[in-house]
Amino acid sequence: MSVDVITCALRELRQNWRRTFAVVSGYAITVAFIIVLAAVLLYSRVVQDIVIGGTGTYFVTWLPACGDISSLTEKELADLAKGIIPAKCQEQCENCTGCNKKPYDILNEGFVVNTNTTRLLTIELAEKVARLDSLKNVSACLMFRFRDPTNNLIFTAAGVNPQDYAVVRNCVAAGDLVEGSYLDAAQPGKILVESGFAINNGLKPGMKFSIAEEEFEIAGLVRTGVRPLNPDIMMPFADAERAINKRIHNPLEKEANIILAVSHDATHHIKAMEDVKKLLKTDSLLTTGCYWPASEALGLSERMVWGFMLIVMLGSVMFAAKIQWSAVVERYRNLAILRAIGWSNRVIAWQLLCESLFQSVAGSLVGVLIGVVLITAVPVNSLLGVDAAMTGVLNPVLAIVVIAFAVLAGLLASLFPVLRMHARSPLDDLRRF
Amino acid sequence: MEPLLRVEKLSKSYHTRGHEIKVFTDVSFAVNTGELLLVTGRSGVGKSTLLGLLSGLDRASGGSIFFQEKEVTGLSLAELAELRASSIGMIFQNFNLIPGWTARENVEAVLMHRGISAAERQKRAVEILRELGLADRLENLPAELSVGQQQRVAIARTLVNDPVLILADEPTGDVDPETAGEIIELLLPRVKSGRAAMIVASHGLFDVKLATRVVCLKDGILSETAQ
Repeated sequence: MSVDVITCALRELRQNWRRTFAVVSGYAITVAFIIVLAAVLLYSRVVQDIVIGGTGTYFVTWLPACGDISSLTEKELADLAKGIIPAKCQEQCENCTGCNKKPYDILNEGFVVNTNTTRLLTIELAEKVARLDSLKNVSACLMFRFRDPTNNLIFTAAGVNPQDYAVVRNCVAAGDLVEGSYLDAAQPGKILVESGFAINNGLKPGMKFSIAEEEFEIAGLVRTGVRPLNPDIMMPFADAERAINKRIHNPLEKEANIILAVSHDATHHIKAMEDVKKLLKTDSLLTTGCYWPASEALGLSERMVWGFMLIVMLGSVMFAAKIQWSAVVERYRNLAILRAIGWSNRVIAWQLLCESLFQSVAGSLVGVLIGVVLITAVPVNSLLGVDAAMTGVLNPVLAIVVIAFAVLAGLLASLFPVLRMHARSPLDDLRRF
Repeated sequence: MEPLLRVEKLSKSYHTRGHEIKVFTDVSFAVNTGELLLVTGRSGVGKSTLLGLLSGLDRASGGSIFFQEKEVTGLSLAELAELRASSIGMIFQNFNLIPGWTARENVEAVLMHRGISAAERQKRAVEILRELGLADRLENLPAELSVGQQQRVAIARTLVNDPVLILADEPTGDVDPETAGEIIELLLPRVKSGRAAMIVASHGLFDVKLATRVVCLKDGILSETAQ
């Protein structure tokens, strides 16, 4: 492409400024529309994350307690206490480490998830789960049912890493606090008490509470609401491990009994659960059910936005093609004159493509500007009542992708009229027009 | 001396709705530099078609065209375009100026895409327009010019690249006798000085006395006419 081609293209655009204005405006409107739609799509993901995050893209999983232990012989039980797993349990207990870690008070105490008894699993297995693509965050957790021998009070205590997102979603969050202060992993010896349990037992922040003969200070009371895991007591993981070790035959060695998980988003939730089930070879999984209709609704709206965007993109290509077609048809005579005085088809084709390129680039840049102004000016977050600004989804990559699309569409759209021009006889055009 | 242009058994036909329409067959002639060949004949006999073939804007159905002893009938579209740009000038009955371009831009157009700088193009265009008496009309659009001025711009466009072959299709067809005379005065010196050959297609308005030779196209046959 020579300087002459560019000069001629610019002159053509300048001389037919009304047509140029119409084409550039068309591109600008289309690109602005695509930018806004893309921003809506990206924003809907942010909103989805916020909304669904509060309605259940999280779950807990565990390995149910082994029912075969009653069939073991005295020797096998004795071996188990030493950590030797019987041959018949090998397959079933692939992920279990806990047969030798039974509680002393096997009738009242044990590893549980809410009311179900569980096996133990390694932290290493939890880390393997964490590496699944469909999961956003994973945290290992200990939940044990204790009996206070002094007053026969039975309660559940969960040992968690309070800073983990999976804990916040599945068990307890700072926002659940109704009185006192929240857990701090750096400050051991403090616990949170579920408010209902606290009321029943007359517990308040600052009071001491005994777990496995160890006194813990109540840091705060929490109301955890609808979450898969509902322990009476929440405490740092290390504290729970220490307390539980006093109640079982052999100490825990980098083990937990529950995996808390958060899937990437609502649309990946089912896949995330399936992935975990497959990896752990368990069907024991607990999640809140409200994620499903919400994810369906959001998935539907997302598909609609994609569909709408596709229609707009197709429309923009057709619009560009129509404009380029018109621009060539109305210049058949002029193009024939130029061919008659010695301009080659290649030069004319380059000029037409060049015109299309300039118009689509200019229109796209203006369109991006309009789109950004629209997104910035309309207070979508306050209209939706969502705590996230729509401007947060704007990024240069989005603009570059949309501009690239518009330019490509413009060039593709101008290809057909250019090929058509090639096939025409200049003599016919000079006679006809 | 080899002729500038030699045409051998040239024929042209169209196919319409399964029928072949023959425009002309076995047309042969030669033109030397310094000659003005007048092709006469009634409207629709194929004079313009013949010029279209000679300029490479159209393809012949049969026969050969040799330009400066090089056969051009088999050249590619790009090679034919290059030939038109460098050696052939065309003048049309209705001027065929580009309406949105000024007189200067119309003339400069011939020199574009040939590696000639913008300054050089402009200099040559202005020079020839001045020669043709259009010094004060350089930046006017064709619509702002009289018919005679438009034709002079068209002639300037034809002559600006100093062609060795000028093809003129009814150059005096749409103008008054005075303007027609001016056109002839502008074109003829190029031919008479031996710098170019000219082929004029006309159905009778062109003065036959100006032509070196006259041929008549009738019923698809080209025949030499005694002056």
